[in-house]
Amino acid sequence: MPETHSDDPIQSRSFTVPLLVSVFLLLLTVAWSLYDEFYGLRPWRSYQHEFAKVYAQYLNNQIPRQQNREKLIRESAEYKKLDEQVRAAEEAARPRLREIGKESDYIDRRLAALTDRFQEARGKVTALVYTMELYPVGTNSRKSKFAEVEQAKKEIYAVELPTPDGRVETKKFVYDQLEAEFNNLKARKAQLVAEQGEVLRPPKELREQRDNYFKEKMEGLTADQLKGLLNAAEHLDISIRQINVNPTDPGINNFGSGGLVDRCQSCHLGTDPKLVPLAMTLIKADLGLAKSKDAPFASHPETELLKIHTTEKFGCSPCHGGNGRALDSVRRAHGRYEHWLWPLYYAENYQAGCQQCHAADMLTEHAPVLNRGKDLYRSRGCIGCHKFEGFDDQSEQILASRQAIRQLEQEKKDDELEIPRLNKAADAAPDNETARKLNARATNLTVTISNIDARIEQLEQKTRSLFREEKKVGPSLKEVRMKLLKEWIPYWLGHTHEFRPATKMPQFRLEQDQIQAIAAFIWQSGVPGPALAKQPPGDAGRGKQLFEARGCMACHAVGEGSNVIGGDFAANLSHVGEKAGYDYLVRWVHNPRERTRPFCPFEKRDLGPEDYAKHGLAYVFDLEHSRCPNDGHELQVQQPTVMPSLRLTWEEARDIASYLITLKRKDASYELAPDLDDPRLKERGRALVKNYGCAGCHEISGLEDEPRLGTELTTEGSKPIERLDFARLTEDAKRGVLPDGKESPRGPWYDQKGFFEQKLASPAVYDKDKYKPDPLDRLKMPKPNVTADDINALTTFLLGSVDPQLPQDYMYKPGDARHDVQAGWWIVTKYNCMGCHQVHIGQQSVLQNLPQYQGDNKIKLPPPLIPEGARVDPNWLAHFLDNPAMSKTDLNRNGVRSYLEVRMPTFSFSDDEIQKLVRFFAAASSQAQPYLPPKLEPLTDTERTVARQLFTSPAAPCLKCHATGDPAHDKDATAPNFLLARERLKPAWTLRWILDPARIVPGTAMPSGLFRKEGDHWIFSGPLPPSVQGYAKDHADLLVRYMFQLTPEEQLMLTGRTAATAGSGE
Amino acid sequence: MRSPYSLYLVMAAALAFSLLSCGKKEETTEKAPAVTPAAAPVDLATVGSVSGTVKLDGPAPKPKKINMAAEPSCAAIHASSPAFDEEVVEGEGGTLANVVVYVKEGAGNRAFEPPKTPVTLDQKGCTYIPHVVALQASQPLDVINSDKTTHNIHPVPKNNREWNKSQPPGAPNIEEVFGREEVAIPVKCNVHPWMKSYIAVFKHPYFQVTKTNGSFELKNLPAGTYTIEAWHEKYGTTSQTVTLAAKESKTVSFVFKAASGD
Repeated sequence: MPETHSDDPIQSRSFTVPLLVSVFLLLLTVAWSLYDEFYGLRPWRSYQHEFAKVYAQYLNNQIPRQQNREKLIRESAEYKKLDEQVRAAEEAARPRLREIGKESDYIDRRLAALTDRFQEARGKVTALVYTMELYPVGTNSRKSKFAEVEQAKKEIYAVELPTPDGRVETKKFVYDQLEAEFNNLKARKAQLVAEQGEVLRPPKELREQRDNYFKEKMEGLTADQLKGLLNAAEHLDISIRQINVNPTDPGINNFGSGGLVDRCQSCHLGTDPKLVPLAMTLIKADLGLAKSKDAPFASHPETELLKIHTTEKFGCSPCHGGNGRALDSVRRAHGRYEHWLWPLYYAENYQAGCQQCHAADMLTEHAPVLNRGKDLYRSRGCIGCHKFEGFDDQSEQILASRQAIRQLEQEKKDDELEIPRLNKAADAAPDNETARKLNARATNLTVTISNIDARIEQLEQKTRSLFREEKKVGPSLKEVRMKLLKEWIPYWLGHTHEFRPATKMPQFRLEQDQIQAIAAFIWQSGVPGPALAKQPPGDAGRGKQLFEARGCMACHAVGEGSNVIGGDFAANLSHVGEKAGYDYLVRWVHNPRERTRPFCPFEKRDLGPEDYAKHGLAYVFDLEHSRCPNDGHELQVQQPTVMPSLRLTWEEARDIASYLITLKRKDASYELAPDLDDPRLKERGRALVKNYGCAGCHEISGLEDEPRLGTELTTEGSKPIERLDFARLTEDAKRGVLPDGKESPRGPWYDQKGFFEQKLASPAVYDKDKYKPDPLDRLKMPKPNVTADDINALTTFLLGSVDPQLPQDYMYKPGDARHDVQAGWWIVTKYNCMGCHQVHIGQQSVLQNLPQYQGDNKIKLPPPLIPEGARVDPNWLAHFLDNPAMSKTDLNRNGVRSYLEVRMPTFSFSDDEIQKLVRFFAAASSQAQPYLPPKLEPLTDTERTVARQLFTSPAAPCLKCHATGDPAHDKDATAPNFLLARERLKPAWTLRWILDPARIVPGTAMPSGLFRKEGDHWIFSGPLPPSVQGYAKDHADLLVRYMFQLTPEEQLMLTGRTAATAGSGE
Repeated sequence: MRSPYSLYLVMAAALAFSLLSCGKKEETTEKAPAVTPAAAPVDLATVGSVSGTVKLDGPAPKPKKINMAAEPSCAAIHASSPAFDEEVVEGEGGTLANVVVYVKEGAGNRAFEPPKTPVTLDQKGCTYIPHVVALQASQPLDVINSDKTTHNIHPVPKNNREWNKSQPPGAPNIEEVFGREEVAIPVKCNVHPWMKSYIAVFKHPYFQVTKTNGSFELKNLPAGTYTIEAWHEKYGTTSQTVTLAAKESKTVSFVFKAASGD
């Protein structure tokens, strides 16, 4: 009898229910894991299913539409005609083709019959020849073998050959005959094949012509192509779509070994060119998903970009960010989680992705937002405090060259002391050998010294260039005492953005007493003179005209609010009359580069007349007199401003200054500022100025060598988030609460983008809730004067400024002409060339949009520079950029377009800048460098007569519009003097220009259609003067040659002649 | 019981002495080359002399006329008396001028104070006067330009330092010194390639340049054995050994063999 334990649960209780529950749980878990495996962790599967569905639908709609289009084209008269021609040609070729085919067949049959026998015979003969060659020449054995060869060649071969009429004949050949027959057949066969190609060519060409016509007329893909795509969509292989770049190179990026793996196309199916060809664009609306927020199916919006950055080389994530390998969720794939350092750029910042490789570019095509960011970084003076590799660093370079010069001078001094010591030792040496060695060492030292001299000289030259290139974002504060109304200074410091709403100067967080101290220091550190020349008042009305006509407004604007007119490159001058001194303004307008005192970097002070007097020198310092009278080193003789000299007369400068002085509010008045002369405030002010880094943007006495105050930002985008100090805002940022308490539209902003945006909008924001009793402890960064768009552009730039993840050869550092383009943009943007000129296709200059250059007045605009490299001789251009007046004495003019009121200014470019600009224009127009002017064929006497008549013919009155040097005539001229052509222009361009100028410069005053093509040469299209009628050569070419050989005497004669012929003609 | 102590003392003393003497020895050997034994000044009461003549054996080459058309101001000076090259200047009876006769060996390490009076080298009519200059090391050489044209003086020494200075007409004399003995430093004027001269530098005063009569006399020689050498720019050097007793005067003749080709 079994024992029963009433308390044993195994026996006493049933486990059915828990077991059942467990079984169910287990089953559920398995089901869940299976679901997760196939769907949950593979969201891309459902995307692919959906894409296949909607895309097939789209294609199904498209196919009949395209078929219809095709039908229309095929039924057009033009197509039918082409098609008919194809058919006719095919018909014409057919009989001959048939004959060729027949003969070819016959030859093939004969060859087939012959080949075996021939090869057998040849084998036999060759083998015998070989055995003969084994015996030396002249031996009996060789002779007997030779006889065997001869014997073999005489052997008769019987071959059964087919005849043309289909029968078979038996022919007998000896070896040589057999070989000849074989070769003949082969040759004939080759001939027939060639002929067949010839016969087939006309229909083939016509067919191509017809197909090309079809392609040109056909919009979009053909129905057949679409059917192919439809097939692909309907049978879409639901699988991971992966781009794998350099799988064997572990160094491609930091994303791990095995190269770059991007699986983005697993969801973004529209970007796969196998599914959606590059020739086709696909947007959400096409797929009927316009409103869907979860339809990643659009094709890449910029196919042009994709063509130069193929996915095979670049993948997706190097440009866009994100975690290209992740597939389990959108958030992970986009890299927007804390363990991924390179999150996907938001749409408004996507151009940040260009910066990594295009860091050396100032202007990157297709990336306007990034370009704007870089431009702001420079123009708003971010660079004044934050170093950035590649941006202007002339001040650092000047410092470095000065130190190098100092060091070399010390070396030189040491060497000079060493020489007499060596000489003495040589004279006292015990033997001549030693003496010679010592003498040689002394001699070598003199050569070393001369090398040092050469290096110092080069460094001085470099300094000279650097001084020309060094520009400060803000004006020099050394001259405040002559420039500014004293009491305005403290007002400006406190109300920067109110006084001038578009100013580049940021607003500093200053207490009233700090403002007083800073103003006092600025005022007291200003140079004391020599006093400026007293200027008589000018004519403000005329000044306004000049201001509007000379081109000032390409950089400067006037007006407030919605009435602002002019460029934003330089200050808006609306209130300039409230603060500026008239005498100073006159000098500034006359030549902004003129300084009151030159600055000596070695003595670290501004020199005065007394320094020059000490050496018996006149107080003259300019680019030609730029050496320090005390120590011979290069001086800074210019104001560090980008503003060029417009080469105005003093009278014009007075007129413009008089006009500017009128730009002020009627009620403007500023409190007297007696404290500014208080010497006790100066030291405190100096400390504050140093603390806030004012010298980053301004030239300030005694602070010329101040380093940049802020963090270097070259790789700021790579900075780990922990090193960006969100301070008391960290939690808010993680929760998505903005500093103003509102909810962040994109949720949490605890990332680089969020940090930059908030910092730029309000740099003080990270001081929120911090305990900082001393104002000097607070964050120093002032509030930049930027709009929301500006902030986005700057953020884009900073986000993209990363430590490169890609290999070096991905960096855009071209070694060819594109490098010249790259380098040139830095200069072009630095001096705002685009304020006056169109420099690249599609760009508008500031002047183009001003009211004074509309309609008829377009003719008064400066020339577009898009074709400049092709147009002008680079050597000429270099001289022109150096001296746009093209004269040493007559400066108040334009050297080329004397008739334009707008003035090409003198920028005082450094040699290096000129070279970069010249090379830039040449490279931008695909010109070979160096340029060697072609030799033009000299004119014969007949040609000269013909050219003269063409030049002055009433149908092409060249000299009516082109300047001639006669002031009475030139005041109405609208084109340059022909005498400049020889030095200035390139003949090839000139020819293209006179044939069709509007194609090069749309809207030019020069008419097109002056020549018509007759055969292979150009004929003047007006009525031909009698002498021209017998001239059989190219008229356009003749005129170019004439133009390039024109002399002043010849031109004088022509102008006389114009009057004469005009008189006789009527 | 003093013996152990005294033993120690003796040993210590011996050690100290040996160390000291060692040190002394080293000192003397180190200093030896640096210290020149002070040479006794020449006693003028006991000196003798060597004299003689220098002759050329065989025919002297015919002097070549110098064409100075390139320098009209000099050509004018030589209009009536043309200038000849001075490579070999022969006197009557085959005597040879412009030979430097000097003591090559035997003068010892005696230091001779260089004379303060300068030796002059004049440039006149685009020739150097004299053609051969001899002077003592560190004795000043005054270069004079008596011409109305710019000369440059360019000595090309082996053991001294090379220099090349321009001397426009009317410019002050150029004063230079040569620090080391050297026979002889060629001097040229790069502007007037025909101008040639030689400077012989000695560390003692026993030298003389022969005139056209070929005679020389080396005075104030203390008793001793000397190697007397004669140097000529074309014929090179020849030497003889002479032993002089106190107050003795000897005669030596030098004969240069004329090169057969000339």
